Amino acid sequence: MRRVPVAIGALGLSVVVGAVSLAVGRDEPTYSFAGASTAGRVALVAAGWALALVGVAFWVGRQAGGFGLLLAAGGTGWLLAEWSNPGASSAFVYTTGLVLSASALPLVAQAALAFPGSRLASPLDRTAVAAAYAGAVVVLGLAPALLFDARSHDCGDCPRNLLALADRGEAADELGQIGIRWSAVAACVLALLLVARLVRSSPAARRSAWAVLVPAAVYCTAAGAVFAASSSHAFLWNGTTERRLWFVQAYALVGIAAGVCWSAYLAQRRRLAVARLVVELAGSPPPGGLRAAFARLVGDPGLVLGYPVGEAGDLVDVAGAPVDLGPEQQQTRLVGDGRLLAVVGHRPGLLAGDDLVDEVTATARLALENERLQARVQVRLAELRRSRSRIVAAGDAERRRLERDLHDGAQQRIVGLALSLRLASSRLVPTIDPAAAAELAAAEADVREATKELRTLAHGIFPAVLADGGLDAALTAIAEEARVPVRVEGRSSGRYSPAVEGAAYAVVAEAVGAADSGVTVRVARAEPALVVEVELAGVDGELDRTELEDRVAAADGQLIFGGRNGGVEIRVVFPCAS
Amino acid sequence: MRVLIADDEALFRDGLGRLLGDAGIDVVDRIATADELLRRVELTRPDAAIVDIRMPPTHTDEGVLAAQEILRAQPNVGVLVLSHYLESHWAMRLLEEHPERCGYLLKDRVSDLAVVVDALQRIVEGECVVDPTIVARLVNRPREDSPLQELTQREREVLSLIAEGHSNDAIARKLFLSPKTVETHVRHILLKLGIGEDADYHRRVLAVLAWLRG
Repeated sequence: MRRVPVAIGALGLSVVVGAVSLAVGRDEPTYSFAGASTAGRVALVAAGWALALVGVAFWVGRQAGGFGLLLAAGGTGWLLAEWSNPGASSAFVYTTGLVLSASALPLVAQAALAFPGSRLASPLDRTAVAAAYAGAVVVLGLAPALLFDARSHDCGDCPRNLLALADRGEAADELGQIGIRWSAVAACVLALLLVARLVRSSPAARRSAWAVLVPAAVYCTAAGAVFAASSSHAFLWNGTTERRLWFVQAYALVGIAAGVCWSAYLAQRRRLAVARLVVELAGSPPPGGLRAAFARLVGDPGLVLGYPVGEAGDLVDVAGAPVDLGPEQQQTRLVGDGRLLAVVGHRPGLLAGDDLVDEVTATARLALENERLQARVQVRLAELRRSRSRIVAAGDAERRRLERDLHDGAQQRIVGLALSLRLASSRLVPTIDPAAAAELAAAEADVREATKELRTLAHGIFPAVLADGGLDAALTAIAEEARVPVRVEGRSSGRYSPAVEGAAYAVVAEAVGAADSGVTVRVARAEPALVVEVELAGVDGELDRTELEDRVAAADGQLIFGGRNGGVEIRVVFPCAS
Repeated sequence: MRVLIADDEALFRDGLGRLLGDAGIDVVDRIATADELLRRVELTRPDAAIVDIRMPPTHTDEGVLAAQEILRAQPNVGVLVLSHYLESHWAMRLLEEHPERCGYLLKDRVSDLAVVVDALQRIVEGECVVDPTIVARLVNRPREDSPLQELTQREREVLSLIAEGHSNDAIARKLFLSPKTVETHVRHILLKLGIGEDADYHRRVLAVLAWLRG
């Protein structure tokens, strides 16, 4: 639809209707609500034209703008109330006034109940609005106009009623009275519905809608009061009380116009904020930048953004750390394509039921997905790290158990066996059975050899000295048993987790085992880090780098290989060893 | 000599007891756990206790702890710790706190009863004993630019015997040297290693061991 011509037409109509209303009131103030006073005339056109202008502007500015047209129509209806003045010079004006003089109430009420859309949400609203139209336009307006012509009674100067089909004054009066009472009830019901809508809406929705709903409820109440005050008449009466209430209605209508402007301003401000968000997102914010952007957008520095991960949907931040929503924080779910993208924890009432949530979700959809995936990757990485550490720890525990079994089982028994052999040979007199004595001696030698082999085996499986004396004692032990000169410089000064000690020991033992000449081991504690450096002048065997890397990484350390001139330098750093 | 044996392996306890009995040593008690050790020592008042390094309940270092407890509470009772560990760490741990009346021998050494009896005698006399295998490992380990390389073969033998806990007289007897010659060797060795000459016997053992480990 081409909106601008329609808008100009609607505004022009409103201006013409207002001008005619002013003229009618000036010619015959007795039957006019606005009367001859400047205040009344200003109130008349201010309310009518403000509603028309704001309504049309709203309609032009918004794609879904049925509300705006309704509002503009309501403003024009308000101006038409003056046209039922018998002092009107034109039969068309007078007839239109007879039918539509009370049309403002249903039009304005419908617009306000539908705000900011154009459809009435509940059947109750629809029924009430339909009833108001029926009462104000059909029963009070059209029906009496069909049955009554003032000119055929006592008013020869009155303009002609173009719609009069019959002349049954009593029936027309009766219908008019019914219409008045009907409209009074309808106005009160509409006022109640407006209040109910205000009370039931979410805090965020209320913040933008109250400015329209409150004056609309006041307007309906005042209109209802005018109807009630006129209930002994067949048409709207303009006594002193009714005139005062008419002014209240005028102010309320101006208030509605102002309220629409206010809510439009709020929406504009929000759109600017979302636009800023778009710009920020376009600049590829760093991880976690989305939270900061949301916090600025909503105006809550304590806002948290959690991404659901895993089967249970536990909330984590972009770094994979669990997110704790404070007890005073309200949760808003950001849903895209029926999938929960993120949960925002914020001060209560900031976002709930707000269009902003949908706008933000739509705008930041990609960024949210991106951060959610990052969070998931971080969580999985952490799980992997933990499971790797567990695997290494389980392996170490198993080796330790094996060493213990060897030591306390086989080794002990073999030494006992050696003693038994020694006892047997001491009971034997060698001169009597030299062959047996030689065999016993050979068996003893074998058992001694077995003891040594077992000792080497057990030590290779797990270094007990590491568990007992820590890294410094274990490095000294490595130097003691090495085939090549090993110099240990510095001290680790204290104990660390078994994972860290085991990894550091494994690196040094592996390096010393592969060295073909002098090795220097440097150990330094730099709180909270532990640094171990191994310098090999030359390498004989093969270094199992992968296994060492796995071990060191499982203890949250870093392993760096370097070297020159055939030598190798290995640097192990455990950033948070102590 | 009266000794007490503490070891959780029955076969070993009984075997060693019978061998020591054959050698004329009076075995006054045999126990299987470390926690009753001190009480039994106080009860039986042996000259020395032979203690396994690993015993129930945790099988880690109960023997060392119990030995130190005995040495603290009963200064007249010597302790010989038997162990499967070759590393000098454990011997140092034992000697560092109480270098007197205690010794550390590898467990398979017991089939050579003469060594055990000799060690027990030296401990009862107040000396300390370190297993020759452990000392040999320390002395013979590869080193770069070490004063050890400047020592003569004889001096290295003397150095090893010092580290094993032998006194000058014992070294003289073992190497068939005169006490004066041994003294000269010892002075040379300590000078070359940079160890203070005035150190008394016990401190000398510790200082030499520490030097060899470093």
